[in-house]
Amino acid sequence: MSQRSSPGPWFAAPVAIFMLVCFAAPIFIVAWYSLMPSRTFGLTGDLTLENYRSAVTDGYTRPLMWSLIGAATTTLATAILAWPTAVILHRYAGRWAAVASALIALPIFISESVRLFGMSVFMMPRGGILAGTMNAVFDIQIGSILNTWSAAQIGMIYIHLPFMLFPLLLGVSLIPADRIEAARDLGATRWQTFREVELPLAAPGLLIGMLLTFVLCLGANAEAAILGGRAVTVITAAIEQRFNYAQDWPMGAALTVIVILVTALIVLPVLSRLDLNRLTRR
Amino acid sequence: MLHDTTHITDRPVILSLAGLSKTFGTLKAVDDISLSIPEGEFLTIVGPSGSGKSTLVRILAGLEAPTSGDLFLRDTQITQSPANKRPTAMVFQSLALFDHRTVGQNIEFAMKMKGVPAADRRNRALELLQLVRLPEDYYSRPVTQCSGGERQRVALARAFASDPEILFFDEPLSAIDYRLRKTLEVELKELHQRTGRTFVYITHSLEEAMVMSDRIAIMQSGRIVQTGTPAEIYSAPVNRFVASFMGEVNILTLEKDTGGKQVFSEIGQPVQAARGAYAMIRPEALELGPGEITTQLTVTQRLMLGSRTQVHLVSELGATLISELPGTAPELDIGTTHPFSFSTEDIAWMDE
Ligand SMILES: Nc1ncnc2c1ncn2[C@@H]1O[C@H](COP(=O)(O)OP(=O)(O)OP(=O)(O)O)[C@@H](O)[C@H]1O
Ligand SMILES: [Mg+2]
Repeated sequence: MSQRSSPGPWFAAPVAIFMLVCFAAPIFIVAWYSLMPSRTFGLTGDLTLENYRSAVTDGYTRPLMWSLIGAATTTLATAILAWPTAVILHRYAGRWAAVASALIALPIFISESVRLFGMSVFMMPRGGILAGTMNAVFDIQIGSILNTWSAAQIGMIYIHLPFMLFPLLLGVSLIPADRIEAARDLGATRWQTFREVELPLAAPGLLIGMLLTFVLCLGANAEAAILGGRAVTVITAAIEQRFNYAQDWPMGAALTVIVILVTALIVLPVLSRLDLNRLTRR
Repeated sequence: MLHDTTHITDRPVILSLAGLSKTFGTLKAVDDISLSIPEGEFLTIVGPSGSGKSTLVRILAGLEAPTSGDLFLRDTQITQSPANKRPTAMVFQSLALFDHRTVGQNIEFAMKMKGVPAADRRNRALELLQLVRLPEDYYSRPVTQCSGGERQRVALARAFASDPEILFFDEPLSAIDYRLRKTLEVELKELHQRTGRTFVYITHSLEEAMVMSDRIAIMQSGRIVQTGTPAEIYSAPVNRFVASFMGEVNILTLEKDTGGKQVFSEIGQPVQAARGAYAMIRPEALELGPGEITTQLTVTQRLMLGSRTQVHLVSELGATLISELPGTAPELDIGTTHPFSFSTEDIAWMDE
């Protein structure tokens, strides 16, 4: 044997090149664009931070705030809904768990816009499925929340529930039954058992679910457009608008960079605390 | 201070089981068990795998609801009260330590649930570390960094921390190697004497039960077939199941020969005044040389047990027997035949 060469870098090379070309390069271009003068279309202008300054002064903090609120609310709501669902599926559903999981996963294979338009038809005033049925069957007239932020919020929760549920199912399955019994035996109430034992033990799954949901929601646009009727503008819509109608690419790029930074600021601390080994049972 | 354990049966009853049963589908895991446990007793429930020991102790701890029957703590009915409302604590077979916490946090768990202030909790945890013979600096160590024996002690301290009136142990030592197990058995016994608490211990090893217990209950297919002190069980097992559970013993079967005389079918020897259908003779009661009941046996195996020698023997009728003799018994070479004997005084009679 002549020379010991480590095969690692060679095997990693294809992925590394792919990441460089498809991930790092676009981000670099966007970051560079964000430093170009307003409403220019080249990468050769003088570097300036003007776009970032106007991002704050021109009121783009509002859309960003709405996106953050939407993402946070959705993350919290899906977590609260998914926890009992995961516990029931894992502990009590037995062989029905697979069927139930499949039914919950099924909608993922249908286009998001199609599902949102379905919800929109459901929520429509007067002739809509909900209002129409209430009127025809119970003779109750109700209004509609369609085209409000609440409708968008409900849509986000509905769309993102599976992304919370499946990691959480994995997390809940990490809780050994005897730890729960031990906690109960040592005098813990149900709530204390949840807080002190179940939650920490399921944390890896819960955190992954929360990260997924949060990041997906930050980039969500369709819910606010289709169900929210653009009652509020989310940051994704603002970015899209900068790139399309306003033809202000540097500004769009600056907003994109801001979103990436905010995401990283929230996601990285959580990610660093995540014990992936425990999740894969190594 | 050592508690006197000789008159335990005179003490007031702390836990009574009245006809407890638990069925899983068609299986009677626990079948109509009634038992009174006096305060401060070390009771061991022994039985083979699947005899329902865990199910029974889980009912007592409140982790499983019985199908029928009642459970009383002193005079209070507690059959329906949940585990967290019972003044009992369990040491699990798996130990069920909270791996995401430190040794100290594990021990303090029960106190934290009760809302004991952090400083008091810490003091008590340090006391308990001492009680179970762990160094104080283990307090802040993650439990995942403890050895098997240390984890055992942490589990014990954690159970004691809830200040329980009764402690349940579901085979906590079964996964531990022989020597450490022996040490922990003795420590557990001492801990019982020092604390004066009621211990209900589960094991499938009668040997372990003999070492530690004030009283032993033997379980077979969901039922308790015999209860008694270790000495009582040792000298008078009620049936062959209990006798064979004690390890290597000789069990001989009585039958009537053609002349209507009672003979042991394994060795063909007659016996007068039989008081049961089966006779148990301990290996040490089967002595070399002629005596009251004598039979010719051939040596098939010879094992040294330190100061004693165990020989495996076969009778002319083909039955195998075991004898234990003092010293090295040099004359008992494999293949040689010798007279062996036992006296009727040494027989424990059984009906089934
Ligand atoms: N939750 C359950 N569902 C169905 N059957 C059960 C359940 N728990 C126990 N059993 C059955 O009840 C019987 C008694 O079980 P148990 O665990 O009490 O036995 P054990 O004496 O503790 O055995 P071991 O020494 O192996 O721990 C077994 O046949 C077991 O299969
Ligand atoms: Mg068991």
